[in-house]
Amino acid sequence: MITSGFHPDPQGKIALTARIEAKAGSSRSVGRRLPRIDGWAKATGQAIYGADVILPRMLCGKILYSDRPHARILSIDLTRARSLPGVAAVITAADAPRRRYGLYLEDQLIFATDRVLYVGQPVAAVAAEDEGTAATALNLITVEYEDLPPIFDPIKALRPGSPQLHPDIDRYVAHYPSVKYGNVCMLTKLEQGDVDAAFAGADRIFEENYRTQLVHQAYLEPHACAAGFDPTGRLTVWTSTQQVSICHGELAAALDVPMTSLKVVPLTLGGGFGGKLKTHLEPICVLLARAARRPVKIMLTSKEDLATTRPRAPYSFRIKSGVTRDGFLVAREVEALADAGAYADHVVGTAMHLVKLAQGPYHIPNARAQARVVYTNNGHFGCMRGYGMAEFSFASESHMDTIADALGIDPAVFRLQNLCREGEPILSTQPLRGVNIRQTMEAALATSGYWEKKGRLAPGRGIGIANLIHTTGLLGASAAVRVNEDASVSVLSATVDIGTGTHTGLCQIAAEVLGLPAERVHTAALDSDGAPWDLGSIASRTIYDTGNAVRMAAEDVQSQIIRLAARSLRCQSEEVVSEGGCYSCAGGGEVIPLARLAAMVAGGAQSPLIGYGSWLAMPPFAEPVGEGYGEAPVGTFIFGTHVAEVEVDRETGLVQVMNLTAAHDVGRAVNPTCVEGQVQGGAAQGIGFGLYEELALREGRVVNDSFLDYKVPTALDVPCVVTALVERADPTGPFGAKGVGEVPLMPPAPAIANAIFDATGARVRELPISPERLYRALVAAKEQDS
Amino acid sequence: MRQRIALEVNGKLHELEVEPDELLVDTLREGLDLRGTKKGCGTGDCGACTVLLDGKPVNSCLVLAASAEGLAIHTIEGLSGSGALEPLQAAFVRLGAIQCGYCTPGMLLAAYALLAENPHPTAEQVRHALAGNLCRCTGYQKIVEAILAVAGTEGIERGERGAGPSLRSRLAGPQVGAPGVIGVASRRGAEGAGPRSHAPAGAWSARSGSPFNSRGGPA
Repeated sequence: MITSGFHPDPQGKIALTARIEAKAGSSRSVGRRLPRIDGWAKATGQAIYGADVILPRMLCGKILYSDRPHARILSIDLTRARSLPGVAAVITAADAPRRRYGLYLEDQLIFATDRVLYVGQPVAAVAAEDEGTAATALNLITVEYEDLPPIFDPIKALRPGSPQLHPDIDRYVAHYPSVKYGNVCMLTKLEQGDVDAAFAGADRIFEENYRTQLVHQAYLEPHACAAGFDPTGRLTVWTSTQQVSICHGELAAALDVPMTSLKVVPLTLGGGFGGKLKTHLEPICVLLARAARRPVKIMLTSKEDLATTRPRAPYSFRIKSGVTRDGFLVAREVEALADAGAYADHVVGTAMHLVKLAQGPYHIPNARAQARVVYTNNGHFGCMRGYGMAEFSFASESHMDTIADALGIDPAVFRLQNLCREGEPILSTQPLRGVNIRQTMEAALATSGYWEKKGRLAPGRGIGIANLIHTTGLLGASAAVRVNEDASVSVLSATVDIGTGTHTGLCQIAAEVLGLPAERVHTAALDSDGAPWDLGSIASRTIYDTGNAVRMAAEDVQSQIIRLAARSLRCQSEEVVSEGGCYSCAGGGEVIPLARLAAMVAGGAQSPLIGYGSWLAMPPFAEPVGEGYGEAPVGTFIFGTHVAEVEVDRETGLVQVMNLTAAHDVGRAVNPTCVEGQVQGGAAQGIGFGLYEELALREGRVVNDSFLDYKVPTALDVPCVVTALVERADPTGPFGAKGVGEVPLMPPAPAIANAIFDATGARVRELPISPERLYRALVAAKEQDS
Repeated sequence: MRQRIALEVNGKLHELEVEPDELLVDTLREGLDLRGTKKGCGTGDCGACTVLLDGKPVNSCLVLAASAEGLAIHTIEGLSGSGALEPLQAAFVRLGAIQCGYCTPGMLLAAYALLAENPHPTAEQVRHALAGNLCRCTGYQKIVEAILAVAGTEGIERGERGAGPSLRSRLAGPQVGAPGVIGVASRRGAEGAGPRSHAPAGAWSARSGSPFNSRGGPA
């Protein structure tokens, strides 16, 4: 049933350029394709990453990991390692504070104490003159274990009486209104409307189970950091981190020292994607440096990195929807179960995020969602780009197609007639804002030629669609903007450029406010001593949150400049007009360039020109929301639509993505080149998530710990992505910008799964859709037909 | 037992002592302090450590330092020796082919070798040449575009599988080239059929105007 206006013109009414509804405006910097400010350093090999740091008298640090999934430590013998010539320090839990720390739940320790909870858990560490000596020393450490029964299956972990990973969980400190018991380190529930009545009144009910896999962020730069001492002798860590401020805070908590006694210096980040949040090696590296009284560098090998860091946690979903006969969603129920491994970590956050968005970008007035995050001995998991919603989107957007197929409605039409509406509340009770899902759908459908292709593709070909909903605006950001005495401008921020071009974008925002060419503005991530607090490069938030803080700081300094100009021009501040970095009185007369005003600082005629911005998108909810839920409202919502076209080889189950069209609701593209880069790179990761990538475990051990066996897409695996940027300025974003970092990863997996279904009639409900898995589904679909 | 060798790097001869099992990537980074060469996987799977040996791109984590004696080694530090960016580097910066930058030195050298061998490649040839160099950030598209822009090969790659091979050709296995010049570097391309087919870049030939075109004997 198509209601008038829901069906887009098959010819594609909207005039499609690469960017839709871009504001012309008078923008000088925002919206320009400026080259990234760190381009020269990266193109010439000058950029300094974690492994490139050299400090005087630096030692090499190495970590001894548990090789048991669950065991009691009976004894650790360090004597032989300590007496090896060239060894400067050997440390264990005995040398670390006993205080537990953690982001949502304080359940984590730097080293295993009495028990090990997963293969790859740090048990001891050494610092030695060189790598070979450090490796030999590790071999000389003897750990006596008594194996305990491990739990690898999250379902079994839920059973009463199953071995408990954290017997003291009741006493653990939580940083949100947490519900936890047994091996369940979080349970959260949100509900809206009358779900049972809506299901009872629904014409059809669909219920399915989906599963997503353990995925590594697979950044190319393995974790590396160096710890030593700053000029005043304070412990300092140089590290590739996504979050300077958070790393600083967590490091101090883990070491149980005041934050002022530590310094975190960010380096160029060789990729992160959620894999370099908070602290990883830093606490161990600092403890080694403190014990050895010499600088220490730890560099993980790629094998260590793949096997011991914090990949995207696996999820299983039960998703149930009630619909009317003519294809309107009336009820939704979602149950999610995540395997956190041994610590709650970011997995708790991913679960809260997806629960609040369990309706997807759809109008489903009656909905309930529940998530449980469970401890197992499978590892120590975390989060990755997409943060729960990449996982859930596979389930929910595949489910949409299952319903559409059963009702005999085109999947695009089914989505179009169920889209969410501006102002209606999501499950966290926050009203939706910035709803541009219709625009991204129309852009993707028109650009991809969906209506022309649907049902007319060659045998073996299929086309599929998937939508996304996500958020930006998370926690605070602060920044300062300083006008230097030569009228160049420095943006002071803790935000790390993870590779997205954030720093370039922040310069463009400051330049836009000040009316200067962006080339006059520079920024780099500052260390934890100098940088105003910022959550960092996470959650698609740097342009939105840090960008807003930079905008505010630039506006602050601009008002100082205007007051100074008024004084110099002998007029009122209100009369001052600025144009291209020059200031004059509205009535005409003298024109003063910024350079002359800025020089007055050096001459002592003016106090320094520095502006501050401190930003929080939304205050917390006034009343508690749901059960076991602790997220604040978000700044704004982000939407998008992908259309994938695939070719399936029925004999082998091999899938090739032939075309991928990605339409994204970016608010305003501050730097379109960088935005396209996010879309293309995120889409490639989404294709990897959908078709290739899985960190395979056998009894808690990673078995494919190399890039030969862990399949990151190559240049031959990803198509040319056609990008459509839908630019409808968001009133809360800096110059209208939303975030784009995570979202392109979300729709490819379900869009591909839906295209495979279109091509073959086979539905794969488990990722990755490997040839083997698809082949089995094809055989099953054939048997069902006959 | 350490042995004394002479390595010619970026046209300059260095005499140094190496362990017999020392890898070229470590000698370049630690011994010669040329840290622009990045160490990624250490097993020849990611291409981050790509350098040119006699003009051919190889994974320097798979080459023994001692075995590189007598060959002309070029690293990222030698690509823009004069300070100004090479056209390829400039195009990478201008066209957004760089994000985190960790793959960039290896990508640039692989691209350089490709253009030396084939100055006007198609998008598909570019993708084959880069198949041994992983990039986790860009999705490769802007890298391919930057290389095509320098090559003057028509514009932006577009349209269906604008660059990638057809499914049929992928099922048939790698299409291009023989394993790299040095046996140990041949894990690129050794994987054969399957969703990922690493293919090595072709052989190198001198190209005038290139900082890499001369065997540049001892300085």
